[in-house]
Amino acid sequence: MIKIVHFVNQFFAGIGGEDKASLAVSTSDSNIGTSRALAQKLGDHAQIVRTVYVGDNYFHEHKDEALKEILGVTRSAEPDVLVAGPAFNSGRYGFACVEICNAVANELGIPALTAMHDENPGVALYKEFLNARLFCLPTTESTTGMNDAMTRLANFAVRLGRAEEIGPASKEGYIGRGIRRLVKADRTGAARAVDMLLKKIAGAPFETELPMEEWEDAPAAPRLGNIKDSNIAVVTTSGVVPWGNPDKFKTYRNTQWRKYNIAELKELEAGKWEAVHGGYNVAYMNQNPHYGVPLDALRGLESEGEIGPGKLYPAYYVIPGNQGSPAVMRRVGQEIAADLKKDNVQGVIFVAT
Amino acid sequence: MSKELEKAGLPVALISAMFPVAQQVRANRIVKGVSIPHPCGDPNLSKELDTRLRREIIRTALKALESDVDRPTVFSPDAAMGG
Repeated sequence: MIKIVHFVNQFFAGIGGEDKASLAVSTSDSNIGTSRALAQKLGDHAQIVRTVYVGDNYFHEHKDEALKEILGVTRSAEPDVLVAGPAFNSGRYGFACVEICNAVANELGIPALTAMHDENPGVALYKEFLNARLFCLPTTESTTGMNDAMTRLANFAVRLGRAEEIGPASKEGYIGRGIRRLVKADRTGAARAVDMLLKKIAGAPFETELPMEEWEDAPAAPRLGNIKDSNIAVVTTSGVVPWGNPDKFKTYRNTQWRKYNIAELKELEAGKWEAVHGGYNVAYMNQNPHYGVPLDALRGLESEGEIGPGKLYPAYYVIPGNQGSPAVMRRVGQEIAADLKKDNVQGVIFVAT
Repeated sequence: MSKELEKAGLPVALISAMFPVAQQVRANRIVKGVSIPHPCGDPNLSKELDTRLRREIIRTALKALESDVDRPTVFSPDAAMGG
């Protein structure tokens, strides 16, 4: 029989509400709280061998410790599948479910399954993890959908326990993770693309094979009052770095940024700088690094008074942007923003390749 | 990345040759770059014209930073060059 460990928070374990949110990691080997409902749906196909539960606040305030403990008590129950939740629209719970599923899937090498409302912040984390062993089913916003969520969790968990092949999100009903799969098609890409185009022209519905990531709107930052009085910095994804690439940037999928001093420089001399980037032909940039870091023009405008004296930040920021994941780039953007603000920079010229 | 800078309250002039992509990902102040391998200038021009073009691109970026925008807006350096 398939063995399942079920993770829930203190509320769904039936221990208590906010007053019990500091509860440390606990376990029960007889079905408590919502584990009973899940066990009922699983019927004879699978057995919940352990319920692991923790207070919402405890998990977030002692995350490393809590994860370690949860991994321990999960491992010792030797499950085939971990099920966490459903968390509906509870943010702390949703986050915990995804964190725990991800950790268990990675450390124990077993599939992990959770469920929550698609606007639960845990879903963003789930998409960030891009973990092929981790699945999240959509639920209603509130617990009114409990019965349905439990039915679907049970069915899916049994399939995972049987190591059944799980198809794409659109067919299987889990929330898409953005993992690209290789599949064999019986017609060439050209023929499929023309088909799609014809459908699009005819105004008929069609299904893209490569959905684009959805982008959130960020409101524009307020304009600079007077550019001459503003501190300006250059940030670039061109990959222009000192010759020899001292910080060993890769040509793709970088995760760290650097800043390089230009305080004493009037221009970037060819041969002293190079572009490290696997996504475009770097020959032009190597001949003239100003295509990525336009220091000559900035110094010129500084001497003409269009940029105030000493207002150009004495270093530029760089990360080669090639194949950078949106999640990494967001984090890098946040880190650079914090560094710029610390030094009172007010506006950014961003050169993207 | 540029959106995180904007979220932190720093206006960003995004110089990019892929300005339709920049618009699609909803960057706010977009400056048309020349081409992907050389956004700030054009190696096909003489050194002098190339330098002048780069100066115009950066002036356009400064202008963009001084401009109020409420949606993705493309600033074109060609117009600023005035021949």
